[in-house]
Amino acid sequence: MTKPLTDPARSSATSATPTVLPVATRRSEIWSIKRFVTPAVVLVVLVVLYLWLASLSLDSIESRTLNADYIIARVREHLGLSVVASALVAALAIPTGVLLSRTPSRAIKAVVLGAANVGQATPAVGVIILLAIIWQTGYLTALVALVIYSFLPVLRNTMIGLQQVDESVRESAFGMGMTRNQVLLRIELPLAVPVILAGLRTSLVFCVGVATIATFINAGGLGDMIVNGLKLQRYPVLVTGAVLVACIALLIDWIAATAEDVLRPRGT
Amino acid sequence: MNLDLNGLFKFWSRRWDDILELLGEHLAVVSLSLLIALVLGVGVGMLVWNKPMSRSVVIAAAGVALTIPSLALLALLLPIFGLGWIPTVIALVMYSLLPIVRNTVVGLREVPPAIMESALGMGMTPFTVLLRVQLPMAWPIIITGVRVAAQVTIGVAAIAAYVAGPGLGQFIFQGLSSLGSKNALNFALTGTLGVVVLALLVDAAFVAITRITTSRGLRA
Amino acid sequence: MPKAPNTALIQISGKTSGALIELNNVTKQYPNQPVAAVENFSMTVQPGELIMFVGPSGCGKTTTMKMINRIIEPTSGSISIDGRDVLSLNPSELRRHIGYVIQQIGLFPHMTIAENIAVVPKLLGWTKEKTSDRVQELLTTVGLEPGDFAHRYPKQLSGGQQQRVGVARALAADPPVMLMDEPFGATDPITREKLQAEFLRLQASLGKTIIFVTHDFDEAVRLGDRIAVLSNRSQIEQFDTPANILTNPANEYVSSFIGRGTAIKRLVLVPVTAAKLGPASAATRTTSFVQTTDSLRDALDALVLTGASALAVRDEENRIVGSINMEAISAVLGVEVPLLARTTEN
Repeated sequence: MTKPLTDPARSSATSATPTVLPVATRRSEIWSIKRFVTPAVVLVVLVVLYLWLASLSLDSIESRTLNADYIIARVREHLGLSVVASALVAALAIPTGVLLSRTPSRAIKAVVLGAANVGQATPAVGVIILLAIIWQTGYLTALVALVIYSFLPVLRNTMIGLQQVDESVRESAFGMGMTRNQVLLRIELPLAVPVILAGLRTSLVFCVGVATIATFINAGGLGDMIVNGLKLQRYPVLVTGAVLVACIALLIDWIAATAEDVLRPRGT
Repeated sequence: MNLDLNGLFKFWSRRWDDILELLGEHLAVVSLSLLIALVLGVGVGMLVWNKPMSRSVVIAAAGVALTIPSLALLALLLPIFGLGWIPTVIALVMYSLLPIVRNTVVGLREVPPAIMESALGMGMTPFTVLLRVQLPMAWPIIITGVRVAAQVTIGVAAIAAYVAGPGLGQFIFQGLSSLGSKNALNFALTGTLGVVVLALLVDAAFVAITRITTSRGLRA
Repeated sequence: MPKAPNTALIQISGKTSGALIELNNVTKQYPNQPVAAVENFSMTVQPGELIMFVGPSGCGKTTTMKMINRIIEPTSGSISIDGRDVLSLNPSELRRHIGYVIQQIGLFPHMTIAENIAVVPKLLGWTKEKTSDRVQELLTTVGLEPGDFAHRYPKQLSGGQQQRVGVARALAADPPVMLMDEPFGATDPITREKLQAEFLRLQASLGKTIIFVTHDFDEAVRLGDRIAVLSNRSQIEQFDTPANILTNPANEYVSSFIGRGTAIKRLVLVPVTAAKLGPASAATRTTSFVQTTDSLRDALDALVLTGASALAVRDEENRIVGSINMEAISAVLGVEVPLLARTTEN
């Protein structure tokens, strides 16, 4: 009646998991079907918009706005403002964040982070309009306002991203003999990338949103269509402007999110 | 242009009742929206927290609302809801939903399995567990979501003034429309500063609210 | 919410001690697994018994236990408590009449200790007075001063204290059945021993039917009335009293589970008084001694430690009643098996 412990049938039955499972490649994980839902939805919305517009008979005011040239010009202005502002912010805020995170002074860091919080509490529309009153209206003002406004959040994310790198990882890097710069470039920055990118992504989407308001200070962009549509009570114009800017915002968010996943270091 | 502080103070002393009224309106419209969003958001969160498919859809939908630029959203609501309080509240609620729903879902899911199991094992029905165990434990996270939503909506409410929404945004836009006049800066500055002060005060209030409403056993 | 009383439950809940538990060919098969987690498990547990389920991790002992209160639903087979089919009852109501203690305890962090213990009484609709009396009573029973502990929060308690609250909470509604999954597992060995001793005392006065899961065979020997040694798919290799298992392991599996030093393990179960004591004068040292309440294991321990050839045995009033040596101890082990069989009337 003794059951030998080394019964092979028994031992295979005890293991709940079979042999090593194949690990899905990063590529296939990033580019799954779910990934393409957003662009697909945006595409559908745009097609519906187009069909709807085509079915309307437009009066002279509307046809002046709802044509390819006008729309493309506005989109270009809008993207120009958003992308340039974000690029400037990235180029300015990230290095500053790196430098600031190196200072041993806690006071400076606290002040900066505190200022970022106050900055967060400031309404973008207020900053833009204030700047226009103090200085001048136009594209440049809008650009400066956007950069000022997005600077602090990206700066804060850079500092936090570097700060949250595991202390023991840093310590072992130094322990292996890496110099300060090497630790920064090879360990800290790569590990901080997800947080920094998240900050950039928010800043980018935000710029698209605020660029809409730039219309108030004659900086152009799709906000023009919305405001014109409102002032002239032409709902097709208003709706088109709003839908287009919403689609751009969603697409840019999607691109940034995908970039986040692609650029994230393996293993994090 | 130089800042005329004296002029600014005179401006404030003359219009302090207007300023207070707008401050009150701003706070009121934000509070109302947050309350509605809290009820809706937590309710939806309680429905989908353990259903992966619905959960992703709901969170994605709420995320879309947050990504759409506020002026565009307000403009889209206009043809249906007109101007004033109603489209403003609707827009603010839509913006608040993502932080609240997402935090509700995360908070409910983070309750340790051992506690879930002992609650069920003691004979609580799943709904009782949700109400008496998960929700109280998730509360700090949910309140943080409301706090984030508050910051967002205070800013959006300022823009809503363009579609005749209530609050300090009205001062900001008045500054814009009176561009060139000597009071333009005062209007815009007052409106902007008012929003900043309101946002900081509300954030500080949330720290207190969180403390008071969280069970002592949960506080770190 | 007054509902028509469920007679099945009243029958179970009417008792506060010992219910008969019957498992019949219970199987649990998870859909994506090639083999069942629990296969055709059958067992009858007598009222008032403390049954230990022992086995290696993953053998299904916890799964089996969790099917009794339907935290895990059986795929097939039947389970009944005092003749009532568990599967026909409302699960939530069933569980309010079964005490449930798990390894990670699971105290609700947002409730005070008193509120934690009061959960099931509240679910059953007890009055506030009855509930708070019960809370005080239970805290005292598990050794925690009510005045001190009732209003504290779980995070303010040590691991051992939390464990006691977990047990108190399970006892709150005085259920006839208790299910315990490694309840003392997460504590240090010293605390665990204390808890085990107190638990034995508690069970002696309460007489509940208890299923106790552990992977620690020594704990099983110490606590259980009967032990079920389980292997994969929750197969019962041997189901018997600790003494019988130690003396006559059914197969190699059980033997390997017992491990080495079987003889010494058996000594734990036997009191000093079971051995034939020699005359008091034979004790070579009187400074070291054993009590009549000690086990033979303690006696052996002392003999080895002191190197004495015989030790004095004292009773509770500290009078020397005899002496004990190695021969006497071996004699107990070698010969009479009936001497070792623990009767369930204890």
